Amino acid sequence: MKKNFILFKGLFVEFLLWIHSFLILKKVIFEKFILGTRYLSFNWNELIFCAVAGLIVSLLLFFLTPNVSLGKALYFKELRSKKLTSSPFFYNGLFHFILTLITSIYISQVSLKEFFSSEGLQGAQRIFMALATPNFGIINETIFSAVETIYIAFLATILSIPFAFFLSFFSSKNLVKNAPFFRVTYSLLRLLMNLSRSIEPLIWAIIFSVWVGIGPFSGMLALWVHSIASLTKLYSEQIEAIDEGLVEAIAATGAHPIQIIWFGVVPQIVIPFMSFTIYRWDINVRMATIIGLVGGGGIGTLLMQYQGMAMWHEVGLLVIVIALIVWLMDFLSSKVRESIK
Amino acid sequence: MLTVKNVSKTFENGVVALKNISFDIKKGEFFVVIGLSGSGKSSLLRCINRSIQPTSGTITFKGQDITKIQGDKLRRIRSQMGMIFQHFNLIPRYSVLKNVLVGSLHHTPILSSIFGNFSKEDIEKARYYLKIVGLLEIESQRADSLSGGQKQRVAIARALMQNPSLLLADEPVASLDPSTSHSVMKYLKKINEDLGITIICNLHFLSLVREYGQRVLALKNGEVVYQGMPTEIDQNWFKKIYGEDAKEVEIN
Repeated sequence: MKKNFILFKGLFVEFLLWIHSFLILKKVIFEKFILGTRYLSFNWNELIFCAVAGLIVSLLLFFLTPNVSLGKALYFKELRSKKLTSSPFFYNGLFHFILTLITSIYISQVSLKEFFSSEGLQGAQRIFMALATPNFGIINETIFSAVETIYIAFLATILSIPFAFFLSFFSSKNLVKNAPFFRVTYSLLRLLMNLSRSIEPLIWAIIFSVWVGIGPFSGMLALWVHSIASLTKLYSEQIEAIDEGLVEAIAATGAHPIQIIWFGVVPQIVIPFMSFTIYRWDINVRMATIIGLVGGGGIGTLLMQYQGMAMWHEVGLLVIVIALIVWLMDFLSSKVRESIK
Repeated sequence: MLTVKNVSKTFENGVVALKNISFDIKKGEFFVVIGLSGSGKSSLLRCINRSIQPTSGTITFKGQDITKIQGDKLRRIRSQMGMIFQHFNLIPRYSVLKNVLVGSLHHTPILSSIFGNFSKEDIEKARYYLKIVGLLEIESQRADSLSGGQKQRVAIARALMQNPSLLLADEPVASLDPSTSHSVMKYLKKINEDLGITIICNLHFLSLVREYGQRVLALKNGEVVYQGMPTEIDQNWFKKIYGEDAKEVEIN
């Protein structure tokens, strides 16, 4: 049963690789390079044809010549020989790799002609010169919005601490393992946190700008949600790494579960929590800059405005100030984290 | 005072830690459990205070069957059993006094304990026990600044703070040097004789067993291989417990 399932997985991998390669062969190699079609179109019949062809080829390879099949070599160690280049499946893999490389170059529209055109080089020179000679006339405005960015990040971090602190206890495996009810909330919380973490702050900013309107408030909310999710994860990992001996010792005195957590768990995590939180503030300042680009307020919004008006000397100043803030926050947060160790 | 009857423990991963263990402990005894690491000594102590649940058998403490009790009842029983550990298990960043006060958590309201409000009587009691273990003058030092022997004495004071009738000691001197080991063992002997607290102590060294133990139980692979007086353990018994190749080492 188990072996059949592994065989099936191997076959599936081989099958996917060949569908992909047939599609590329047909669309990119044949239509684009050989026929020279300008615009490639998609149609379902082609996909079905490639799927059938892929299935036939992968079945043949898988069962007739097992040491050529990449999918089989992936799951059956004994098929691999000592020297990678002497195994037939290596050349099978190389074939798929080269096809993928060709396609990615085509899709990225790589063009050395554009990169080295004289017009292009002149443009590059113009913008680098402008960036190197920043306009200090807007320094007041710039510093004001930089400070705004730092404050937005600060509030998002502070407001996320109590939520993350509370939730982290319920998303730590070692604390929930003996209680069936909390095991359910553990899984739900983990899922929820992973979901909200995988949505980038930029997307959250777009969501909140519809909710509360464009501006610093929506940027703060976006950072807040993302911070809760990532701090909960960092905190709970720290809780999972504590010394269980102390917990056992406190429990052995006949203490209440809440007291066990307060005296057995909390003293072990306070310092790492502080360190994570400061690091998070540092990250939030950087993210607040990016969020500003979609209207989340602060220096990012300012950058977007000047960039839109092609005022490159002003953009130059903003770039310098952003780099300074990021460097300063990084420096300060590492100093503080070191001193509270 | 404590009766362990036919206790077995098989862990979820299939490891058999204890096989059909039975013994009786009288009030005021200094009872020693010996055996190689992995022989089930620690599991036995943890079954007694129910940190782990025995798979079968019964444990009777002061006439009450405690094998299956849960929640508040279990906490009340635990508060009557102090426990000290090989690695001391103190709160590193807390003061010595506060570590001792942890022993009074079971009768301190949750909210008061969280805000660090312990009763005056408890603080006095904590100082009294610190005096017994000879550490009163360092009550405000942080626990992580102490030496191993001092840490174990703080742990003893914490256990005494519970006002226990039974003290479980899980290899209390295994991570200490020989002279500190004797000092800690002497404190255990003192509280056994002066305060009348029954002690169950896991030990490695036979010389310590002979000097401090009144009765001894030897475990091998989770089974009882010897039960009796420490003085009666001769060379033959020693080989039975620790294996043919073992040599006895003195600890002075």
